[in-house]
Amino acid sequence: MRNPLADVSIPVLDDLVESDYVRSLIVGTVGVLGALLVLGTLFPDSVAGDLSGIVFSTSTAASTARLAAPIVLAGLGGIFAEKSGVINIGLEGLLIISAFASVYVASVVGIGNAVLGVPAIWVGFLAGIAASTALAAVFGIVCIEFKADQIIAGLAVWLIALGLAPFMSTVFFGGVNTPNLGARVSWRYSAVMVVVATLASWWALNRTAFGKHLRAAGENPKALDTVGVSVSKVRHAGVLLSGVLSGVGGSALALSIGQFVGSGETMVQGKGFIAIVAYLFGNYNPLGTLGAGVLFAGLDAIQIRLQQLGYAIPDTLVQTIPYVVVILVLALVGRTRLPEAAGEHYETED
Amino acid sequence: MNPAVHMDGITKRFPGVVANDDVDLAVERGSVHALLGENGAGKTTLMNVLYGLYEPTEGTVFLDGEPQSFRSPRDAIDAGVGMIHQHFMLVDPMTVWENVVLGNEPKTWGGLRVDREAAREAVVDLSERYGFDVDPDARIEDVSVGVQQRVEILKALYRGADVLILDEPTAVLTPQEVEDLYGVFEELTDQGKTIIFISHKLGEALSAADEITVLRDGVNVGTVASEDVTREELAEMMVGREVLMEPATTPQEPGERVLEATDVRAEDDRGVEAVSGISFEVRAGEVFGIAGVDGNGQSQLVEAITGMREPTDGSITYLGEPMAGESRREHIDRGMAFIPEDRQERGLVMSYDLTENGILGSQHDPPFAEGGRLDWRASRDHAESVIEQYDVRPPNADAEAESLSGGNQQKFIVGREFERDPELVVAMHPTRGVDIGSTEFLHDRLLELRAEGKAVLLVSSKLDEVQGLSDRLAVIHDGEFTGVVDPATVTEEEIGLLMAGETLDGDSVEGAAVHDAVGEAEAAGTDDGDAGVDA
Repeated sequence: MRNPLADVSIPVLDDLVESDYVRSLIVGTVGVLGALLVLGTLFPDSVAGDLSGIVFSTSTAASTARLAAPIVLAGLGGIFAEKSGVINIGLEGLLIISAFASVYVASVVGIGNAVLGVPAIWVGFLAGIAASTALAAVFGIVCIEFKADQIIAGLAVWLIALGLAPFMSTVFFGGVNTPNLGARVSWRYSAVMVVVATLASWWALNRTAFGKHLRAAGENPKALDTVGVSVSKVRHAGVLLSGVLSGVGGSALALSIGQFVGSGETMVQGKGFIAIVAYLFGNYNPLGTLGAGVLFAGLDAIQIRLQQLGYAIPDTLVQTIPYVVVILVLALVGRTRLPEAAGEHYETED
Repeated sequence: MNPAVHMDGITKRFPGVVANDDVDLAVERGSVHALLGENGAGKTTLMNVLYGLYEPTEGTVFLDGEPQSFRSPRDAIDAGVGMIHQHFMLVDPMTVWENVVLGNEPKTWGGLRVDREAAREAVVDLSERYGFDVDPDARIEDVSVGVQQRVEILKALYRGADVLILDEPTAVLTPQEVEDLYGVFEELTDQGKTIIFISHKLGEALSAADEITVLRDGVNVGTVASEDVTREELAEMMVGREVLMEPATTPQEPGERVLEATDVRAEDDRGVEAVSGISFEVRAGEVFGIAGVDGNGQSQLVEAITGMREPTDGSITYLGEPMAGESRREHIDRGMAFIPEDRQERGLVMSYDLTENGILGSQHDPPFAEGGRLDWRASRDHAESVIEQYDVRPPNADAEAESLSGGNQQKFIVGREFERDPELVVAMHPTRGVDIGSTEFLHDRLLELRAEGKAVLLVSSKLDEVQGLSDRLAVIHDGEFTGVVDPATVTEEEIGLLMAGETLDGDSVEGAAVHDAVGEAEAAGTDDGDAGVDA
């Protein structure tokens, strides 16, 4: 199927994004937003007017950034793991554990206090990253050294975090939800972290030797081994990066509210799984993942605002959009291609 | 002057096995050296010692007279030894230059950026210097196997290799690509590189190497200059006894018609017509051979005959009854044995043991099937009798198929199929990848079947095999028979022309493509006589 958007040529973008597919995603999104802005400005009293009012409001931008941070950051992490050959479906678990750990540590330090000059909320932020990275390290060791099934180990990461975080919350705070810290991390920090992480990931994957090694480890690990680069080191690095990035996402999610919510699916609510959808949708390109993550989060944010304006849109329907979209993309466009050796263990010969 | 490579008294023992026993090998700088031997003769072990994958139990490796002790391939690479494995170590979706520099990327910006310009330039320089026609920006998955092999060679050269070891380099190449590879060898040796290649094909060693060392059972049988030795002498060195390069056939009166194909047409998996109206018959007590360059419709024709592909047109009659469109099981039940071209894909279940593999195709029939259960005792007896009669090694019915070498897998399949007591045997490349000794044995068995009055349809890309065994020989080109000839009187040149799509009275079937195709056919012609894996 020929994709007409792939032919639209934009000089800077062409240089930055090698994939036609990702380029057409970006062009398409910008196009829709542009049309909405024009229609909304011309007919301010119509549905388009309401919509454009919502889409281009600061509060929507803020909630989009807040919702997109965990999706995009965990998605970037997922790219690093999966490119190296380890499918990490435990991203959800990494988000949950970091969300809880960040709030817990921040409250232990106590808002208003500081450790080595770092304010409590940022100490909590770093602790969230550390917790997620530690859990990812365990996942990596289990998968790479002990050759466990990656899918089962990934599910275990999710289930452990899903059980552990609310349990710890009950132990320390007497309920599955923690009390609110009374302080929060501004959505502007989340937005900056998302953009910086996306660009840095793009560079790391496409321009550094490490990126090449990562790709070789996921496509043909033997080729990497025979040129003298350790496949398991590269894979551990990929999995650890998925822990670090998911940790940033989970901390940002919880601290942007100042509270960990542990009831039901916890406050993460499947964002780790949508992150997987986002990077598949973005075809393993960080820029595409950013686009997909912002799109999914934006739809969610718009939906919430529309409800407030009295449009009766079922939120469950909006939440299925990412999954429906990914099925359509995988089935119709079929551009997403898993790394050849993803999910396979590698054993050095001799 | 010291030889580029000197391996002195190399012995390599594995628990229970001596893979190399006091082997000496000396290779002069700028020469091509072939390491020839049957499967399991110890060629690869010896090269793995040179490449640092194994440490020798005894003996020393010298490079340019300097003793070396390699602990890993890394050491060998640093000392200037590069190995090109039989299965390429390339990353398919990455480009040529990315693959060449993988693991040794030139970097800028304090290591934060791969210096793409420098890497590309290095690759372009190398390929120009050695006359390789390689596009540095092409993706590996988009280039031919021959080009991929050159990328592997570039990888070794980029890492500073002076000595290049190639493991069975022609196994995956077309005849034309083999010629190109020989050209690459010349370019490399002209510039002082030394080449050692592993092979079990006589013709290849004779035409590409300056010197040939023959290994047998881990021992160096001798090193000879390729000009001073004949094919027969080499075969004898490899096998340890005289080998009949030409199977002995005796004339025989063919009997009744067993298989008759009339105007058969069939498509390949992409829906393109691959067989375009082929008619022939095979009689009892006759071997009907089909020769041709691989990929000219042989596979689809054989699949149509054996019930694995429905022909789009035409009729196939077997023992007087129409067979086109009948199920695969029907074909087996009526006594049609089939030796498929890909033994691992279609001949065996690799994770089954030989007992289980031995009853494949007969699993519905007594004595193996008995009221809904399988009789494993009978199955095991059957497998053991095949193993014994066909000399399958190791002789263990509990061994999984994947643990056997290719030649032994093939012997087991041939044994299983022949033991069905078939009326017709359809054999496709029956000796591909099989060593010379076993090839001779399998040929004898085919001729025995013929003597018993069975019909044999033999498809092979090895010209000497089809020519030597067949009573009548058809040549296939682009889905059509370009001629049916008497193999006793036809010359190799004539078959070459037919394989290229010309007819013997001088008409060209396909004018434009003839030149290249002739080259390929000739390459295939000189290549025959090899008991090895073909393209």
